[in-house]
Amino acid sequence: MSTSRHWMARGFSALFALALLYPFTALLARIGPWQWGAEVRGPALASVRVSLLLTGFAMVIIVAVGTPVAAYIARCSTRERLWWQAILLVPILLPPLALGILLTLAFGPYGSLGAILEHLDLRLTNSAAAFIVTQIYVGMGYYVLGAVAAFDAVPTILQKQAALLGLPPAKVFLRVTLPLSRLGLAVALSIAWVRAIGEFGAVVVTAYYPSGMPVQLWVNLQSFGLPAVMPLLVVFLAVALPLPWLVHVLAQRNRHA
Amino acid sequence: MLKAHIIKNRRDLEVNVTLELEPGTAVGLFGASGAGKSTVLACIAGIEQPDDGFVQLNGLQLFPPSLPLHRRALGYMTQEPGLFPHLSVSENIYFGIAKALAATARQQQWIATLRDRLQLDPLWHAPAALISGGQARRVALARMLARKPPLVLLDEPFAGLDRQLVRELIDDLIFWSRQIGFSMIAVDHQAEVLKRLCPQQAIVLEQGKIVQRGTWTELYNAPATPLLGSLLAPL
Repeated sequence: MSTSRHWMARGFSALFALALLYPFTALLARIGPWQWGAEVRGPALASVRVSLLLTGFAMVIIVAVGTPVAAYIARCSTRERLWWQAILLVPILLPPLALGILLTLAFGPYGSLGAILEHLDLRLTNSAAAFIVTQIYVGMGYYVLGAVAAFDAVPTILQKQAALLGLPPAKVFLRVTLPLSRLGLAVALSIAWVRAIGEFGAVVVTAYYPSGMPVQLWVNLQSFGLPAVMPLLVVFLAVALPLPWLVHVLAQRNRHA
Repeated sequence: MLKAHIIKNRRDLEVNVTLELEPGTAVGLFGASGAGKSTVLACIAGIEQPDDGFVQLNGLQLFPPSLPLHRRALGYMTQEPGLFPHLSVSENIYFGIAKALAATARQQQWIATLRDRLQLDPLWHAPAALISGGQARRVALARMLARKPPLVLLDEPFAGLDRQLVRELIDDLIFWSRQIGFSMIAVDHQAEVLKRLCPQQAIVLEQGKIVQRGTWTELYNAPATPLLGSLLAPL
């Protein structure tokens, strides 16, 4: 790319970034002094803990279950793959509130599975387990669809060459497919993380307690108004952004290798 | 010994080819583009599934049923070197060797011999993604030979290389075929390349069928079809 074109592209990208970040100038809006007293700080920090721990746990399950599923779908025939993709789209297509209602009905004490779980002393409404299950439903489709695209991008001939060099399928996956798709997998994981940690509509129905950050933002808005929302918003950005960003940093290392 | 009868229905033609290859011998599959040469190799390698027929290598049934690729123990090189871009040159070469095997002195010595003969020393620790096309073919050759395969399948592995490099690689392949004793089937649309690599015998394919088998002299003196005559004629 010539220098002038490069600078034009950079200028355009800078404008794009400014437009994307423009809403965040509202953090400077005159709404009075921000409220960060004990009555706000305690629940806010508890919500940070809930969001990070439980969303992190949900991500572990999403990666552990979603990666082999994505690897399978990537090898399916076109027709079978289309069915899988439709299934994966269903939970992420629904309005989050609707998903939350369905999850509560299905896993709550009045659903058939929920009743069995209740007998086993496992409550899937307003509990940490309910929070995790909701995050999984919210993020799984994003991760698996992204992971399938990442696996698709690995040239088939390299996998076949590895097999001809004597590696069984599991080793081909670990030594060729996985390393070559790491950037795409990182993007898929970060999208699932961002989507899940910011989820409000579904979580507010299934797990009002324990409150994660989005629900706590809502509580703060209702109870104290905007001055109690802004500090939690800053905390939210500070704790939610580094992890997906770090995943990108790690995946970009030796990108051209 | 390789015995194969490949039947493969492609969209544009039906490939129907019978092959027998004694251990340590080499045969050149020659023909115009689209004659089905690469399909035959891919079916023997297991990259593609034949629709019917059989493939046996030294008594081992490769098809049917289709033996998984990792149990086939054969070398396959195409014009795309297929190096693993996330690994270094040395990691690529050691890729197909089990860790326990790689640790033996004999195996180390074998890799060192390949490294010297193929002049890989300066590249040894380089990322495979950052070497030239010619260097990549050398590395792919070393990687394939590291496992000492009994059969080597070459699908135009010299395409796009300069004549000097092609000559060197052909000499290397002939040298290693004598050292290791592997059989070789090579595909190319340049008769002079195949004639140098597989001087004893050639098989000519047209429209998925064998139209002539014999020595290169027989092919040049009495081409079975006008198309073959035209392909062998000087420019």
